[in-house]
Amino acid sequence: MAKFVFIVPPLTGHINPTLSIGAVLLRRGHEVAWISLDKSLALRLPEGGQLLLIEYDESDQQKQDSEKYLDIITKKIVYGIDSIKFLYEEVLIPLNRHSYEGILTLLDEFKPDLIITDHQMFAGAIAAANKNIPYATSVTAPAAIKVMDELPKIHEWEVNQIVALQNELGIQSENSIACSDLLTMVLTSKAFFGEMELPSNYQFVGPVIHKRAGQTAFDWQKLEQSEQPKVLVSIGTTFDHEHKKSFFAKVIEAFADEPLTVVVVSEPSLFEEWPDNFIVQRNVPQLELLPHLDAVVCHGGHNTVCETLINGLPMVVVPIAYDQSHVAGRVVRVGAGLRLNFNRFKSRHLKEAVEEILNNSDFKEAAQKMSASFEEAGGTETAADLLVQLSAVRYVEVLNN
Amino acid sequence: MDAVVSTAKLNSNEIFDLMKQFITEVIGEEFVEEMDITMESSFTKDLEMDSIEIVSFSEKIKAHFGEQIDFTGWLSNMDLDQLINLNLGTIVNYIEECQ
Repeated sequence: MAKFVFIVPPLTGHINPTLSIGAVLLRRGHEVAWISLDKSLALRLPEGGQLLLIEYDESDQQKQDSEKYLDIITKKIVYGIDSIKFLYEEVLIPLNRHSYEGILTLLDEFKPDLIITDHQMFAGAIAAANKNIPYATSVTAPAAIKVMDELPKIHEWEVNQIVALQNELGIQSENSIACSDLLTMVLTSKAFFGEMELPSNYQFVGPVIHKRAGQTAFDWQKLEQSEQPKVLVSIGTTFDHEHKKSFFAKVIEAFADEPLTVVVVSEPSLFEEWPDNFIVQRNVPQLELLPHLDAVVCHGGHNTVCETLINGLPMVVVPIAYDQSHVAGRVVRVGAGLRLNFNRFKSRHLKEAVEEILNNSDFKEAAQKMSASFEEAGGTETAADLLVQLSAVRYVEVLNN
Repeated sequence: MDAVVSTAKLNSNEIFDLMKQFITEVIGEEFVEEMDITMESSFTKDLEMDSIEIVSFSEKIKAHFGEQIDFTGWLSNMDLDQLINLNLGTIVNYIEECQ
């Protein structure tokens, strides 16, 4: 049996797929741990999983820093290309620099056979390379590895940021080592990712869906009583209050008293009153809910988009920042939905777009095609198989030496 | 000889109007009406265009001028800061010089 360790950033969308893959590895009898800055991850780990918390006790300043990184990404209003600069300069590079020493210490203690590092936790790859431990990479936001032919310098700039950190931490290479040469698992299908030549270490394993443990309460009765089309509206976990307020004000204007049942993921306290045809909850059991719905309105976070497509549902994507513009572009390109501009759209556009994806069955058919491509890619079990195979190959190599 | 309209040399006002037309096609007429688009308008901050929209804008320029101007080649040389600060005037000047 092998020892695996996942190295994850404090970002829900990046962590969740590793919880599912880790659960399969644990079920197969392997030892699995997670390295993270976030103490609360312990509560979400699958049974038997260990949390290896990045901790520094030398100075209070460093401790405070750790906490700072947990929600930094939710604090600033960013948009468009600007957000890429913010993401690297103010979030990813400092986060990775801060995590590096802690990762080294934890690797020394845990002695994993294989490291699986997130593609944005470059510090994991750097630590693995410096410790000479084999590592695989999980690409949880696949748009990040896609080079836009028309704007290649954006990707080049991102790579330069990573390479500079690598140099600082002792890796003298001009290439980014964030994506492992041994195995880089891209958590989508090739059909959804789009045309781009990638070397054979890149494996498209499909989305890895994470089922939350436990029950989330939901007003199923209200949903089931409705005979109107049902739409989920969610803009994810990373955006702040003001973004949400302006967005949901338009959602209310678009759908109030329309012949639709609208499930909204939001703090109900955001507004004093919501229309009668709305069901508003802070959390919803999204995976259980999707099979009962007809369409989704979302911000283009990779996980929600994949879960929507798996259920063969059409969507309207309203990207806000980071890779979401790209994900939205792919949704439109494969024909599974429409996109709106977050800052510009008016309630009327949202209403029209939702009507169109509900009435024109082409969108649904395209979504079903993507669903089939995801199923073919394999998902969680395939990802676990690849990791086990890689750890076994490495084990044999060690024995032979 | 094929004297097509697009090969006629445009002055900067004509180029500006053409660019405004392309922006309108990308982001929609009603939004443009509410905006004060000038030579100083930046694509990211003022026009709030994201990378995908900037790319579709550049495709329109390419389709219009064809071989005459290597617009996509020029754009692809821009680094992140240049893209963030890219304004309409820079593009109008570039096209004017290339003609």
